[in-house]
Amino acid sequence: MATGGDPRILRLVVNGDSRIGVAEPRMLLVDFIRHELGLTGTHAGCEHGVCGACNVRMNGSVVRSCLVFAVQADGAEIETVESLAGRDGSMHPLQVAFQEHHGLQCGFCTPGFLVAGLEVLRDNPDPTEAEIRQALSGNLCRCTGYVGIVKAIRQAAITMRS
Amino acid sequence: MEGVEPKRGKFIGQRVKRVEDPRFLTGEARYIADLPIAHCLSVAFLRSPHGHAEIRSIDTSRAAAMPGVVRILTASDLESLPPLEDKVALAELKKTPQLVIAKGRVRFVGEIVAAVLAHNRYVAEDAADRIDVEYDPLPAVTTVEQALDGKSPLLHDPLGDNIVYQKKFSHGDVAKAFAAADHVFKATYRHNRFMAASMETRGYMAHYERASGRLTAWGSTQAPHMERLLLSSYLGIPEHKIHYIVPEVGGGFGLKFPVYPEEIITAVLSRMVGQPVRWIEDRREHLTSSTHAKEQIIDLEVAVKSDGALLGMKARCIGDAGAYSFNSTSALIEPMVAGTMMPGIYKLDNYDYEVMAVVTNKTPVGPYRGIGWTAGNSAREMLFDEIARALHIDRADFRRQNMIEPDDFPYTTCTGSHYDQGSYQESLNLALKEIGYADFLSRQAELRGQGRYLGIGFCAWVEQSAWGTDAAAQSGLPAPSHDNVSVRIDPSGKVVVSAGISSHGQGLETTLAQLAAEVLGVKLEDVRIVHGDTDSVPFGMGTYASRSAVIGGGALQKAATQVREKLLKVAGQLLEADPQDLVLEGGRVSVAGVPAKTLSMADIAGAAYFLPSVRTEGSEWLAATCFYDPKATYSNGCCAVIAEVDVETGVVKLQPIVTVEDCGTMLNPMIVEGQTHGAIAQAIGAALLEDLHYDETGQLTTTTYMDYLLPTTTEVPNMRVLHLETPSPWTVMGIKGMGEGGLIGAPAAVINAVVDALAPFGVEARELPLSPDRIFRLLRDAQSRPAAPA
Repeated sequence: MATGGDPRILRLVVNGDSRIGVAEPRMLLVDFIRHELGLTGTHAGCEHGVCGACNVRMNGSVVRSCLVFAVQADGAEIETVESLAGRDGSMHPLQVAFQEHHGLQCGFCTPGFLVAGLEVLRDNPDPTEAEIRQALSGNLCRCTGYVGIVKAIRQAAITMRS
Repeated sequence: MEGVEPKRGKFIGQRVKRVEDPRFLTGEARYIADLPIAHCLSVAFLRSPHGHAEIRSIDTSRAAAMPGVVRILTASDLESLPPLEDKVALAELKKTPQLVIAKGRVRFVGEIVAAVLAHNRYVAEDAADRIDVEYDPLPAVTTVEQALDGKSPLLHDPLGDNIVYQKKFSHGDVAKAFAAADHVFKATYRHNRFMAASMETRGYMAHYERASGRLTAWGSTQAPHMERLLLSSYLGIPEHKIHYIVPEVGGGFGLKFPVYPEEIITAVLSRMVGQPVRWIEDRREHLTSSTHAKEQIIDLEVAVKSDGALLGMKARCIGDAGAYSFNSTSALIEPMVAGTMMPGIYKLDNYDYEVMAVVTNKTPVGPYRGIGWTAGNSAREMLFDEIARALHIDRADFRRQNMIEPDDFPYTTCTGSHYDQGSYQESLNLALKEIGYADFLSRQAELRGQGRYLGIGFCAWVEQSAWGTDAAAQSGLPAPSHDNVSVRIDPSGKVVVSAGISSHGQGLETTLAQLAAEVLGVKLEDVRIVHGDTDSVPFGMGTYASRSAVIGGGALQKAATQVREKLLKVAGQLLEADPQDLVLEGGRVSVAGVPAKTLSMADIAGAAYFLPSVRTEGSEWLAATCFYDPKATYSNGCCAVIAEVDVETGVVKLQPIVTVEDCGTMLNPMIVEGQTHGAIAQAIGAALLEDLHYDETGQLTTTTYMDYLLPTTTEVPNMRVLHLETPSPWTVMGIKGMGEGGLIGAPAAVINAVVDALAPFGVEARELPLSPDRIFRLLRDAQSRPAAPA
């Protein structure tokens, strides 16, 4: 028999909106966000918590949404990459800096880096390059060699402080 | 030959920000797993857990009974499908037909044994778990040595052995060169097996409409028209009834160029059920079942004079192809290219080489950035460092002495590579100057005295690009290759470019728009690039082998120039001026010297479409399509690296890297630098970390990112890219392709930096990667103790 168990109704706040969705107890949060809520900016890159492409902010902390069951997020506040730009489509200073410094190529890892990068800047508004590199070592990128990503976060730190 | 000046313009050669970025940054970009297709069914595969085994029985009954399961396929359901086979036209190359679902025997861990179609992926995977398969494990062939020993089992009985290709080539008089040598150096290098490991895994989707017999197929792939052609031939659906779409692609690096069994099966399932079907690879599947790359054993012998003069070389390149000579590019993708391109940037007249490819019980090998250049280049450069050390010649001087010089161009290597123009000596000198080579050497001994082991490595490379018919032949893998690009101006004066090449991270929507805007004198935002859709773009071979900027860019420039002429002809009539006196700039056409006589692109295009008196009968109106198949052209560069090795732990720390890149006329230096950064990061993984490891039973032991280590922000240092621009005299605008060079040359630079750091211990590096555990063992095994500080 299908082994998912009875679906549960989940209520959560996603990017400031109240959302209701249905998930079997075994459904991963990343699949719930992508397929149930239709927010496909969050990506599944490795599904075992190494690559960081599925990073989202849950109740104020960055989590790997591939390592969290959707039911664990019942009642939670979630922020995904879609929350960064303004409602009018204007990009966040961190997004602007990524474009400015060629911090992305294929774009697949980018949402995870943006979510992690914002967290770096929340914790430390003026990080050194070494601190940025240490803080981002849990995210994989296969295109950029990280050069543009690190530069972009340094630039965003300056913009966001001013 | 006279050099050509690099082209510069309002857009060409400028650091234009990428126009595609906002959709990726905001999460709006849609990759294949994101496409909203209603009622789409999901596929999961049951894969072989054994490297080599007979399938005794398969029982799908438990799985088929599960709610939500739509269909289960095993080999017996697909008897009429032709097997996958490479299309390389070389008589000596044996074929290893690969059924899309294994029948009777499995030959590598990850080979497909059954496919399950269900209402969602969770159910499909549950059902795959409930398919009962009984295997009789067989001894596995896991090394080149076993494949060649004559005693190990055969992978493909009709071959009679495990060798799919073996051929010797001879150039010059090698016997005489070796007889004249003062020294002969020889070594055998075992090059690691690693892979592209794009951040987005593979994925395919298909929707077959049974009433019309039409297939719409989507794939995270690199070459839409080639996918359409191959799907047509394997599925028996006429090409004109297949619409192939490539959505956003999260990295390819060559891995997503071939057709794979999963793609065929996805389409077959859709044809069976008449519903859309999707398969998205998971990371474990990616590591076991997407093509691996780069594994070779390379024997080298080099004859030199005591003064360092290179007299001759012998090479044997054996590629470990995995279980099948893979369908697109064959088992020769590694060893043939390594052998043919071994002369590299050096003047080498006497060169004998043997190319072999063998099959083993491992994942098939396919194309990955730099293909066989990487392994060949690393082996040669490792040995060249040893030779220079043994002869007490500076390592850079040894290269300079034997390197092709500026006056030698165009230069044809003994194996037939025709180098157009390059800056080989200049790139080496510039990279060494910028990294402070002389200064480093003077400090090295002192640092060793402090117990710090630092080394410097460098590698100048040549990179074949413009993979058209000529380049393919020069690399030893003959196959016609070319591209078309269409340029069209619509009635409102905006420009649409439709290209057969297909972007998967390269930023082609920006670079092609720069080119079109330059030629047509419009704003960047007035150009849109369409790619990745066979119903919308003219036939092209796709994006791989550093071909897109030079072939796609060249075809675009030709087409845009024709459109420009048509446009100026219309404008000339409207402005009552000779088209030669018109200036096209900023989206307006004006009469030179009479700024008041001016029209906007919209005015001209509107008239062109709707004012019959200005039309010209004949070729496509306000549009043109051009075909381009240029001669091969060769980019070059040099990477220089300083590494520090912690001799207690074997961990390597790299200092900021300096690289020189020369790809002729650059469309966008920022994008050139990004390609270089990325390729060098992959080179760091290749040299120090990445190793797809099999045990003696053929079990792959690196199936997660906790075992297969990709470099992160803490392993990849900052990088500085310096530009030289030596345009090709043979291509449109002197453009040379680029993108692979970093993974051709930088591995050797990193490796040789580490070996140089360990020089006091007398370690002999012959196997890659130089991972911490291997460095630790090399140090432990080294007989000598650190030399006293100088």
